[in-house]
Amino acid sequence: MSRAARRRLVLTIGSPLLLLLIWHLVTTQGLVAAIILPPPAGAFAALQDMLVRGYSGVPLITHLGASLARVGVAYVFGAALGTLAGLLRGRSTGFDAVMLVPSEIIRPIPPLGLIPLFILWFGIGELSKILLIGLAVFMVMMVNAQAGTRAAGLDSLRAAQCMGASRWQVFRFVVLPSALPQIMTGLRVAMGTALSILVASELLGGDRGLGFIVLDASSFFRTTYVFAGVILIGLIGLLSDRGLALAARRIVHWEGRR
Amino acid sequence: MAGRKLLQFERVGFQYDGRDILRDLSFDIAAGELLVLLGPSGCGKTTILNLIAGFLTATSGYAFVDGRVIEAPGPDRGVVFQSAALFDWMNVADNIAFSLRCAGRPKVEQRAVAREMAALVGLAGHEAAFPYQLSGGMRQRVGLARVLAARPKMMLMDEPFAALDVQTREALQEEMLRLRDATGCTIVFVTHSIEEAVFLGDRILLLTEARRGAFREYQVSLPAPRWTPENRLHGDFLALRGQVYRDMRARQAA
Repeated sequence: MSRAARRRLVLTIGSPLLLLLIWHLVTTQGLVAAIILPPPAGAFAALQDMLVRGYSGVPLITHLGASLARVGVAYVFGAALGTLAGLLRGRSTGFDAVMLVPSEIIRPIPPLGLIPLFILWFGIGELSKILLIGLAVFMVMMVNAQAGTRAAGLDSLRAAQCMGASRWQVFRFVVLPSALPQIMTGLRVAMGTALSILVASELLGGDRGLGFIVLDASSFFRTTYVFAGVILIGLIGLLSDRGLALAARRIVHWEGRR
Repeated sequence: MAGRKLLQFERVGFQYDGRDILRDLSFDIAAGELLVLLGPSGCGKTTILNLIAGFLTATSGYAFVDGRVIEAPGPDRGVVFQSAALFDWMNVADNIAFSLRCAGRPKVEQRAVAREMAALVGLAGHEAAFPYQLSGGMRQRVGLARVLAARPKMMLMDEPFAALDVQTREALQEEMLRLRDATGCTIVFVTHSIEEAVFLGDRILLLTEARRGAFREYQVSLPAPRWTPENRLHGDFLALRGQVYRDMRARQAA
């Protein structure tokens, strides 16, 4: 391992450890009340308790599975449709004109504001939750994919045309690959968005999920369990982001090397 | 020289933002000829190339290739760009075989042509490399190979060697002349370098006044084979280079 890589590793692992240490010191020196900010040990004890005994009579793995399934389904569908819509908007001025006003009116509405409507329209079951997350993912991906379609250089587009590429082939072999770096970045942003809306979506009733744990524990002032739930969501975010970043480096291997 | 006219410009004009870039420009290119369009930046030489390629459309007059009005880009007119404009997401073989892939040729043929063309431009063994792993000169060789793979009637070259260092540039100039002897391809070559124009061209159009429909024309006669580096020191080479230089300066002063 090179000096620079070792340094990077030390800093990457060191910074969260330092944060934990500060958290530990602040809470054990009696600077804040445990009900406001419990010590890390308390949060980990809550996590351990949930691992062994579950939360509200349901095993932790079931909560985890419920949340992952919601985020997963919403993410896959939202990302696929959003990317498709963004690419179409980038390639067709007509479609872009049709989508412009509706999507820009819907995009700034916070998901929390949509919850009452989604309950009215889709009930309090899985469908509302998945649609709420999926809509946010869709919006992020549409913006990124559309911006990506403009990344292809004029010379590259012309080169493809003068080698006999049809309109579809120009899209498939030049526009789409040029858009991939931006699409991969969009996928990472959208994953963060999806996880942050997970908690809000689980406000829509139900008794399963990490968001449910956080909300339920907070209403009973079981702050250690709130932290345990938040930490789990954060860890999912960290792992999925690293996975996506690693995949992006392999898929868009040419990025930054031109 | 076969003498058959492959390209004809008949009083071609091109306006942009209401300004004349080219006006009433007429000239021919014979099949097999290497024509150099020479001039400082902004003289309209790249516009002429883009009109031939079909990237731009004449706002007046007619441009013909093989007797047909140019309407759109096509694989009969391959372009080599200064930026090489390779597809970074494809390896060398896929870049070279791109035109065959678009034409729906079988994979086996694509691979065979890629190997053949890579060898022709001196890139044998680099088929699996990606463009970002190549030097500037090698990237430009890929740019040449992928155009040759389409077996075009004409190659249009837009200052392809301008961004390279002198040694690489001269090596590629000689290589290009060798390829041209081997393929008999008609070439339109755009450059701002008088030296490059005289070393490469069969004929040179000096385009300092293209927006007024005028240009100056020079025939180049240097010993064959034209790729001999010795030609760079030949008396006729030096004489023509001097003459073009004086004409260019005189027109810029006027």
